[in-house]
Amino acid sequence: MNTNNNNQELASIRGYSRLKLKLISCEIFFREIGFLLEQSPHEIEVEFMQKGLHDIPTDEMLKRLQAQVDEASKGNYDAIILGYGLCNNGLDGLKARDVQLILPRAHDCITLFLGSRKRYNDYFHANPGTYFKTTGWIERDEIAEELKQLSIPNQMGMDMTYEELVAQYGEDNAEFLWEELCNTEKNYSKITFIEMGVEPDGSFEQIAKDEAEEKKWRFEKIAGDLALIQKLLNGDWDEDNFLTVPPGCTIAADHSERIVRIKPSG
Amino acid sequence: MAKNEALYEAVLKGKRKDVAEIVQQEIDGGTNVESILMDSMVPAMAEIGDRFSRNEAYVPEMLIAARAMQAGLDLLDPLLQEAGHEPIGKVAIGTVKGDLHDIGKNLCAMMLKGAGFEVMDLGVDCDVDKYKEAVENGAKVVLLSALLTTTMPYMKEVVKGLAGSGAKILIGGAPVTQEYADEIGADGYSDDANTCVKATKIALGIAA
Repeated sequence: MNTNNNNQELASIRGYSRLKLKLISCEIFFREIGFLLEQSPHEIEVEFMQKGLHDIPTDEMLKRLQAQVDEASKGNYDAIILGYGLCNNGLDGLKARDVQLILPRAHDCITLFLGSRKRYNDYFHANPGTYFKTTGWIERDEIAEELKQLSIPNQMGMDMTYEELVAQYGEDNAEFLWEELCNTEKNYSKITFIEMGVEPDGSFEQIAKDEAEEKKWRFEKIAGDLALIQKLLNGDWDEDNFLTVPPGCTIAADHSERIVRIKPSG
Repeated sequence: MAKNEALYEAVLKGKRKDVAEIVQQEIDGGTNVESILMDSMVPAMAEIGDRFSRNEAYVPEMLIAARAMQAGLDLLDPLLQEAGHEPIGKVAIGTVKGDLHDIGKNLCAMMLKGAGFEVMDLGVDCDVDKYKEAVENGAKVVLLSALLTTTMPYMKEVVKGLAGSGAKILIGGAPVTQEYADEIGADGYSDDANTCVKATKIALGIAA
């Protein structure tokens, strides 16, 4: 019997059940997870993945996440917990190997910041055209050099500067392309700062506010809710909020209010 | 009537002013307006679409070609109507309710126009009634776009809402798959603006 099992046994004798978990999470939750980890009853190994995976094609995102899951599956973990949502199908097709996977039922990170998918759904439909900001969305909204080539906004020319567009397509077309591809102001009209309680001071809120002012968008601050992320880290994986993927099964998009489901690996 | 190479190139390269100039010269010179459109401009758009599918052209190139095409169409349209020219089909396209993203939708609309379709652009945030109205106004194909998994499920509502209308429904957008199209009973799916033109032709039984 290895040390881990001895520890678990000891813990359970004292009335606790300490699990050994591997967390694979998007770095967008860096501060929230850092804050919550010390309160988790479990032993958690943490692996943060770069936020830039959000910007590359879904099969490329999946490939990178699967590699992490495969690596972690060699370890002696009770579960691999995922700090992700469906993320525009980036997790559709992720396979559990020898260790079960736990995934929040969420379209994307905003559900986890708001604490429930119902709250996100209500807010999303009541506030069309909203850009959400959190500490992560302010300090980690970047893409690493090695992913830039793969980035969809990059391939579409959405992140070109006006000067670059002029150089490549001429003045007349640059103006038009800027309007079509780069002008986010057209369809967005609001920045909502989600205050998670992990901010060191008012500086993040101020940055979000300044951006709204600069773009002449409305600004709103709402209270976030750590409950869902906390449940993930605490092993409190109720069926309503989490998908448990047994070894050998695969995550699939569900296209329903449940968001994700399991399917046997083919 | 022979293809006007200079016009074909100007559309392909997205040279809007050149397109307008050449089209005007052709009109003034008495060239058949239908031929200007079908023999020089439409083939240029088909070519840029195919280059896009082969990863030899990118979204900006496709957009500027479509815009150049439009500059020519603006001059040709009244004359085409006079000449009794019929579009190859009448279609409607819009991003579904709750979703405000329109780059992909606009690109599809432009490529469809470039292929000779009459396109009703319904814009973004379209509810079932908006699509229904388009069908009442003669759209034979309705194209639905969504960028988010949060808004994609509304496509199912539209398919239900248009049941029995006789219009074909095609769906597309980042999270959309053929599997989803089958699941909700849509008539087709396409994963980019070029295949969207092909799928629309197939839906209407037009030879590609």
